Amino acid sequence: MTTAELSRFLFSPVVLVLYTSAMLAYLYAMAFGTVDRDDVAAVAKGRRARVLGTGLAIVGVASHVAHLAVRMVAAERLVPLGNMFEFSNVIALVVVVGGLLVVQRRMGRPELMGFVLLGALVTLGMAALLYAEPGPLAPILDSWWLNIHVSTIALAAGIFTMGAVFNGLQLLRDTAERRVALRASGDFGPNTVGAAQAPVGSSDVDAPAHGDVDGDADDVLDSVGERIGKDDGLRVVDADLAYRDALRDVLAQRVFGLRFPWKVGLVAAALALAFSLVFQDVVASVTFPLAMLAMVGIAWWAVPFLPSASALDSLAYRTIAFGFPIWTFAVITGAIWAEQSWGRYWGWDPKETSAFLTWIAYAGYLHARATKGFKGRRAAWVGLGSFGVLLFTYYVVNLLISGLHSYAGLQ
Amino acid sequence: MSRIDSFDPPEANPDVRRRGPRPVTPLGLLRASAKQVWRTLRTMRTALWLLGGLALESILATIVPQEPNVPDTVAAWRAGTEGPGTVVSAGIEVVGGYDVYGSPLFLALLLLLFTSLTACMIPRVRGWWRITRRSQPPRTRHLGAQEHVAHVHTDLSGDEALAAARGVLSDRRYRLRDTAADGPDAEPQVAGEKGQVAREGGSLLFHVSFYVLLVGIVFGQLLGFTGQVGIVEGQAFTDAQVSYWSYQPGRWFGSDDHRGFRLQLDQFNVDWYRDVELAGQPRLFQSDVTVTTPDGETYSDTVGGNDPLVVDGMKIHQLDWGYAPRVVVRQGDEVVHDGFVDANSDEFGWFPTAVKAPAADPDVGLEVVLVPWAPEGPEGEPIPTGAPWADEPLLFYRGWAGDLQLDVPQDVRELDTSRMALGPEGALRLGETVELPNDVTIEFAELRRWVGFQFSDRPTVPLLLVGALLALGGLIPALYAYRRRVWIGTTDLPDGRTLLVVAGRAFQRAEAFAEEFEELADDVRSAVDGTTPDLPDPAAPSPSDGSSTESLPDQPVPDQPVPDQPVPDQESVS
Repeated sequence: MTTAELSRFLFSPVVLVLYTSAMLAYLYAMAFGTVDRDDVAAVAKGRRARVLGTGLAIVGVASHVAHLAVRMVAAERLVPLGNMFEFSNVIALVVVVGGLLVVQRRMGRPELMGFVLLGALVTLGMAALLYAEPGPLAPILDSWWLNIHVSTIALAAGIFTMGAVFNGLQLLRDTAERRVALRASGDFGPNTVGAAQAPVGSSDVDAPAHGDVDGDADDVLDSVGERIGKDDGLRVVDADLAYRDALRDVLAQRVFGLRFPWKVGLVAAALALAFSLVFQDVVASVTFPLAMLAMVGIAWWAVPFLPSASALDSLAYRTIAFGFPIWTFAVITGAIWAEQSWGRYWGWDPKETSAFLTWIAYAGYLHARATKGFKGRRAAWVGLGSFGVLLFTYYVVNLLISGLHSYAGLQ
Repeated sequence: MSRIDSFDPPEANPDVRRRGPRPVTPLGLLRASAKQVWRTLRTMRTALWLLGGLALESILATIVPQEPNVPDTVAAWRAGTEGPGTVVSAGIEVVGGYDVYGSPLFLALLLLLFTSLTACMIPRVRGWWRITRRSQPPRTRHLGAQEHVAHVHTDLSGDEALAAARGVLSDRRYRLRDTAADGPDAEPQVAGEKGQVAREGGSLLFHVSFYVLLVGIVFGQLLGFTGQVGIVEGQAFTDAQVSYWSYQPGRWFGSDDHRGFRLQLDQFNVDWYRDVELAGQPRLFQSDVTVTTPDGETYSDTVGGNDPLVVDGMKIHQLDWGYAPRVVVRQGDEVVHDGFVDANSDEFGWFPTAVKAPAADPDVGLEVVLVPWAPEGPEGEPIPTGAPWADEPLLFYRGWAGDLQLDVPQDVRELDTSRMALGPEGALRLGETVELPNDVTIEFAELRRWVGFQFSDRPTVPLLLVGALLALGGLIPALYAYRRRVWIGTTDLPDGRTLLVVAGRAFQRAEAFAEEFEELADDVRSAVDGTTPDLPDPAAPSPSDGSSTESLPDQPVPDQPVPDQPVPDQESVS
């Protein structure tokens, strides 16, 4: 086995399988995040799954690093940032390592790791589509300023990817929370005074505002009410469980007897189709919509287990606020390198323009978050839009628009 | 959040500013509406929309080819031979889409954004100046009602304990309130604040850096110079305006500002990976040059891809390269053309150019294409390849005779054949000679390479670097300095001991402050040798500290999760 083959083997299947199984373990663990705390077996199950996920993710990171190292041995160079495959790889690595160190360890939010890994896996999936054999670097790319420039860009892109994951989850969760609150207030008819304090099911329940939900949740709430009646209304955990189910239900509509967040799914499918058009590949056009639909399905399933929308909002803000100076620095080093290499610090090359655009978009997010009327949901949309701009900068400009940054490494 | 604790001057608190009387005179109306426009410009909402407009323009510039970058593609779009067609093209033209960054719309947006920024900056800088120079961290009337409260029992007297607490706070870089300002009757209280000056100052620095960048860019345009020239190996170039192939001087860059040095290209080193897989990817790309300064000093140096040469403040970059075949044209015994004709590679990796010999009678023109590597096939015939290395060069030619029309401006690498007659065509190996009609012979005498250099003078680059570093230096405190206030008050207890109440409030990152506050309370406790009093729930106001903190009985205790940023808008990032 040559080093090139070894590096390919380490990428696929080893790294992909490890990350996927870690993601599944984390998602499984998530389901035990909101359970009856007396249910020792369930709590233990959740903890075991989380430990398994962490272990798999760590082994995955080790294999990922090994893959990049072997690849660099095969290519006889030092920094694995020579083409889009390597670049996407490093972004995914940043996402996973950042997730493990910051999201899980520092912020103590292991329940989000499943989605962090999902973000990394999507990035790796894109990398697989852009696969290029290890090879030497074009001489123009051989510069220390370039290494600093691209590695900070990759770092910032990884951080922004995490931010986008949080923003997306925030929107989903926020939608659910709003609808539940709205349905709760619906009981009062046109008069919404006092709606926020409206308890549902039983007036004794000290639960978050949750609502009367049509469909199956009715039954759940009824059964909760029954049990509350029996236990003199002291089972707060049951109310949590009811709120959890209510959250799930408000996002779904029944079509063909299936409950699924159709609207979000359709938007995702349209996006996926646009993406696959970029690649003009039959396999991609089929797998991408499917993968995105699966992702929407997972996200929808996870809504009740997520942190509150405001917690996700704060998480997304902190992530993006951390990435923004890094992106700024990366753009500055890019200008320094351009001055050295091309003889001008800024030439409105498509890539330069779109990097500037990304900067503006994220600056817009940071401002939006501090502006009345933009806080919360609208800011989250601005954040997601900024990530869209980042994707445009990375995929569309590299693959479809010719410019001085044409280093995608594709024939 | 109530504003009850805020002693900020009204300038920093626009909400509390009173409206003036309604204007009645036309002049007053004009003044009032100008003020209103200024206020609208100042809002973050306006800035966001303007940023959005800039973003849209940038998207346009990314998708549509830009005239300064790729004039040929733009011409093709305009003609409709490429791109979306003439109708869309006309639409793009109307909005200035082919030169977005020079279009009036973009410049207007930029101007508005800078005006909006200025409108926003003036009161903020004034407010910040006031805060740093005159304002003090405010006292609180509701110690026990703050978001974070801790209690400490100590044997020290109230004044001693407060002095120790002041030490703890100033060690932690809190700005402390000057107690002298409160008068002798005020109940003793330590009030401290941190993060505000750094956060707002960082944000201001970040925004002010844009003016530095703007000045750097504008003056760079005015004072700078960029020129391009191609030099054939063995030949030289002298820095003077006439020597350039093309140049873009700034408005304030005169012809005397040229340095007058001489640059000779000794050799151009280029090499490629020659295996099939990498298909001629270059691996070496470097020029050996000799520089002679106007004083007569001579030295050798190299110019590489990422390695420009600086001579007397003029930066020299190696941009592109090509082959320059030397073609000698004779008519009878007379040499009518002898020189290198430079050529750029085309999409096949070949190098087309033209030879013009007006000294011949009639004028002789040659369309030539150099194929660097055309190895001989099994039957001796040359097989042209697209490889760039000149192992077996072959020069295709097509002869023309007639009028070259050199009095009309034309491309040096193309013939205007409208008044010429087609002659014979063929191919030459290096050193070969061939005869054409009219007693004309042509010889492929020599093959060299030429390198395209760019000479640039950008005096404001250091200023731009300073601007960029200021932006980055301001951004970090603007995003990561968190504003906190801490108050410490005392009550004498009946048993002779003293109760210290430490209260704190976070304006950003409240969740991180919980831990920070605990550490701070611990520090205070150890500084006064204190103990934690036996209270059922230290967060809740208990009767024992009710008198000291004057907390009102109906004052709600904020025990619910604190929102991330409970601050007025202008105090966050902007």
